[in-house]
Amino acid sequence: MRRKNIIAAVVLIACAILYGVLTANLPTRTLPNTPGPSFFPWINTVIILALSAWLLVQALRQPAPAPAPAPTPTGTGRNRRAVWALAAFVGYLAVMPGLGFILATAPFFAVMMVLFGERRPMWVGGGAVGTTVLLYALFRYGFGVILPRGLLAGIVA
Amino acid sequence: MNPDALIGLAQASGFLVLASTGIGVFVGLLVGMIPGMTISTGIIVVLPATFVLPADISIALLLGLYVGGMTGGSFSAVLLNIPGTPSASATALDGFPMAARGEAGRALGIAITASFIGGLFSFLCLFFIAPLLADVALEFRTEDMFSLVFFGLTIICSFAAGSLIKGLLSAALGLALVTIGQDPVMGTQRFTFGQANLMAGVHFLTAMIGLFAIPQLVDNLMSNQTGRQAQAKLTSVLPRLSDLKAIRMPVFIGSMTGAFLGMLPGAGGPIAAFISYDGSRKVSKNPERFGQGCAEGVAAPESANNAVTGGALIPMMTLGIPGDPVTAILIGALMIHGLAPGPLLFMERGDFAYGVIFSFFWANIFNFIIAILGLRVLVKLLATPRALLMPTIAVLCVIGSYALRNNFFDVYVMLFFGFVGLAMRWLDMPVVPMLLALVLGGQLEEHLRVALIASKGDVSIFFESPISFTFLCLSVLSIVWSLKSNRNKIASHAKESNP
Repeated sequence: MRRKNIIAAVVLIACAILYGVLTANLPTRTLPNTPGPSFFPWINTVIILALSAWLLVQALRQPAPAPAPAPTPTGTGRNRRAVWALAAFVGYLAVMPGLGFILATAPFFAVMMVLFGERRPMWVGGGAVGTTVLLYALFRYGFGVILPRGLLAGIVA
Repeated sequence: MNPDALIGLAQASGFLVLASTGIGVFVGLLVGMIPGMTISTGIIVVLPATFVLPADISIALLLGLYVGGMTGGSFSAVLLNIPGTPSASATALDGFPMAARGEAGRALGIAITASFIGGLFSFLCLFFIAPLLADVALEFRTEDMFSLVFFGLTIICSFAAGSLIKGLLSAALGLALVTIGQDPVMGTQRFTFGQANLMAGVHFLTAMIGLFAIPQLVDNLMSNQTGRQAQAKLTSVLPRLSDLKAIRMPVFIGSMTGAFLGMLPGAGGPIAAFISYDGSRKVSKNPERFGQGCAEGVAAPESANNAVTGGALIPMMTLGIPGDPVTAILIGALMIHGLAPGPLLFMERGDFAYGVIFSFFWANIFNFIIAILGLRVLVKLLATPRALLMPTIAVLCVIGSYALRNNFFDVYVMLFFGFVGLAMRWLDMPVVPMLLALVLGGQLEEHLRVALIASKGDVSIFFESPISFTFLCLSVLSIVWSLKSNRNKIASHAKESNP
């Protein structure tokens, strides 16, 4: 906890400084005796700096904890799965504007099903394609949401 | 009856609105009972639909989900000893021992009945108190509104955070994020870096999807839950007369506690459930039976957490102050349809405001009927494969963010907030204050600056108005009280680790 609080405080102090610099560069458009566009951001800068400094002091005054036990192999495996899922999610969002909703979602869905423990190929394939088409149809035709069509622009409505 | 109330009743009783309420309740019961899914996640699932549906149908759907979710949490608490929602944690204390004795049906029947009575009680509070409070709030001036919003933020931080500093920091970061986009008073562009997509600012629904859903998906991957099948055999779920007699007092305590605490921003279901559980144990003739599987121990928290829902709608509808993430989302849903919750809602769209109140009433009625009649089906659905459910939620997060403005930029904003949510979770920082700051921040800045413009920069305006002064005093009290309880917590923790 102590280490996390120190990291949080340092990161937030850096963010507050950056926010302060950006605030200082805001256009000054104000009437006499009235707060301008940078008024509220300045208050935020001061509050974030003060609270982060407080958190840092509080963390530094805490006694150093005993060394944590090494992560178990199961825990590491789960962490790896979470990292893979996040990577898949980022990749999915990166390719969706080009490929379109259906072509990007089906493989992403399949990857996620495998990461969540489904191993039967028929279930993975059927679940991924079926759910993707179902969701597309529901939102496109049911709710009128125009999802990206990408490469299938001439084929699906 | 007030003519607006009659029109509202007619609107809420239309076929499509009723059907939407019923669907919302069903989805809410399902979402609430699946461990690892929260009501907020359920709302994310239906959110894209609310963008295109009419306002009354959308709100009925969301209200149904809110009410159903609160009750659904008790199902897995009783059957699996895993509370489906944090509000159902206290229910597991007596519900699971009852199920272990072979009385799962009885425990669920009591939970459903207590939820129903708690919900109806909070409906009455909402119906009678909300219009009166809206009338009072109409008298508020800008400086009073600033102090009220400020008070709402401080109380939320103190309740939501294990550490007050981290809660306040989370809110302060939310307030900083609110400043992205057009300045609300002069229209100056701030922190947009020439990006046209940032000119309208960060939409808090996009932020909410990222902050809540992405960390939850990761949590589910790491927890390795596979959806345990409920093995309990359900006999009759309708409570016996002797049970109804036994739960009278706990339900009364739960309903009163829940409705009152629901009105306080940030207090929420879990606190109300535990306070009413404790209160019922104290007044019980047989307090030793609590924790062993007694009907009173199920009824008190269940009536309390459902009474919270109506209570939370009171400040949301009359003052525009959300008490929890769900009411924050309801505000967002109303805003998408051009309706701003607050005192003016009752004056300008009284029919709609009463329509919301009566939709809440119907949600409680449907909740009772669907839960009692569909219990067996719902329990079977408890074993829905996570491998199908979780990827569906991930895709719905994308659709929800995209459908908000038909803009892929919002999807990337959602992803950004997903990483922010993960980082905050790793650093043990609560995300709720940030979300509520995103909802309230715009109002806070606008009221502050307009009041200062009116007073020509004189800050004494906030202390001269009795209403504003009262709220500022309450804010200081809230922070001092939180600091004190935080210090006590640290002291008792240190005592435990070094006896």
